[in-house]
Amino acid sequence: MPEVAREVVEVDGVVREAMPNALYRVELLTETRGTATAHVGGSGGLLRLRPGDEVVVELMPYDMTRGRIVRKR
Amino acid sequence: MSVQKSWSELQKMHRANTLVVGALDLLEQAAVPGTTTKELDRLAYDFFKKNGAQPAFLGYRGYPATLCVSINDEVVHGIPSEKRRLKDGDIVGFDLGCIVEGFFGDSARTVAVGKVSDQATRLMETTKAALFAGIEACHPGKRVGDIGHAVQTLAESRGYSVVREFVGHGIGTSLHEDPQVPNYGPGGKGKRLVAGMTLAIEPMVNVGGPEVRVLDDDWTAVTVDGALSAHFELSVAITVHGPWILSEPYPFVQEALHA
Repeated sequence: MPEVAREVVEVDGVVREAMPNALYRVELLTETRGTATAHVGGSGGLLRLRPGDEVVVELMPYDMTRGRIVRKR
Repeated sequence: MSVQKSWSELQKMHRANTLVVGALDLLEQAAVPGTTTKELDRLAYDFFKKNGAQPAFLGYRGYPATLCVSINDEVVHGIPSEKRRLKDGDIVGFDLGCIVEGFFGDSARTVAVGKVSDQATRLMETTKAALFAGIEACHPGKRVGDIGHAVQTLAESRGYSVVREFVGHGIGTSLHEDPQVPNYGPGGKGKRLVAGMTLAIEPMVNVGGPEVRVLDDDWTAVTVDGALSAHFELSVAITVHGPWILSEPYPFVQEALHA
């Protein structure tokens, strides 16, 4: 049985809480609702995120609890 | 981190893989027009139970059956159904795994139902050849990327494409272990192969483009353009003498005696 290739997946989420060290707690809008802690990737143009902001998070399929915010929706 | 298996562990994997291939032989004979895919699933389940093995896929991440059965444009992970009957001219991929004393066997092949087109025959031959090209690369000191490179080169040289979204994998005490074994990519890259590693190598080759999508059942993967796809898989142990296809007897007895 082939394994699903381990690539990053992009998941829609909503920022719930800004944490120290530019980390955010993001609620994932996936079928099985969960939260991930995510930092902001890229140039830093997204640095000032606030709770309620709708974002796209990059996650590794084998660890859906930590990710990287790649852009706003 | 991939785990190197001991000789006794490899013996268990050999038994598991021998059973899987035995079941595939049965399924190949049973793949006649009119058979439902559910009947084939039952056949595989009963064969494993009779031989004291556990089906490896049943319940794996919620998969509901013993067998994956993927017809024509279905690439992999097709779920058996009472409603689905094989037709003359179909090509049908059987993917099967079992557990013996905690160790996994995993293998797949695509077979013809009745008389199939020349295109389908050529696709199946190519996919099988691509699998063996990948296995040929399984020597200590080579790298995981060499396997994918060999598979991709062979398949694309005949005008086919290889699926990217699903990949081969390490195998042992779980169905899927590190490392992943893509069927594409540059040679000379990736994890170095060492004796004692066990890998499931499984090219999925399409007549059309490489793109696949997963149906609403969350499992069945089909080609986006609807063109035919074939899938062959064997579990292989890397030994100092080269690849040991685990469903076959240990091939390096002479080398071992003279070592």
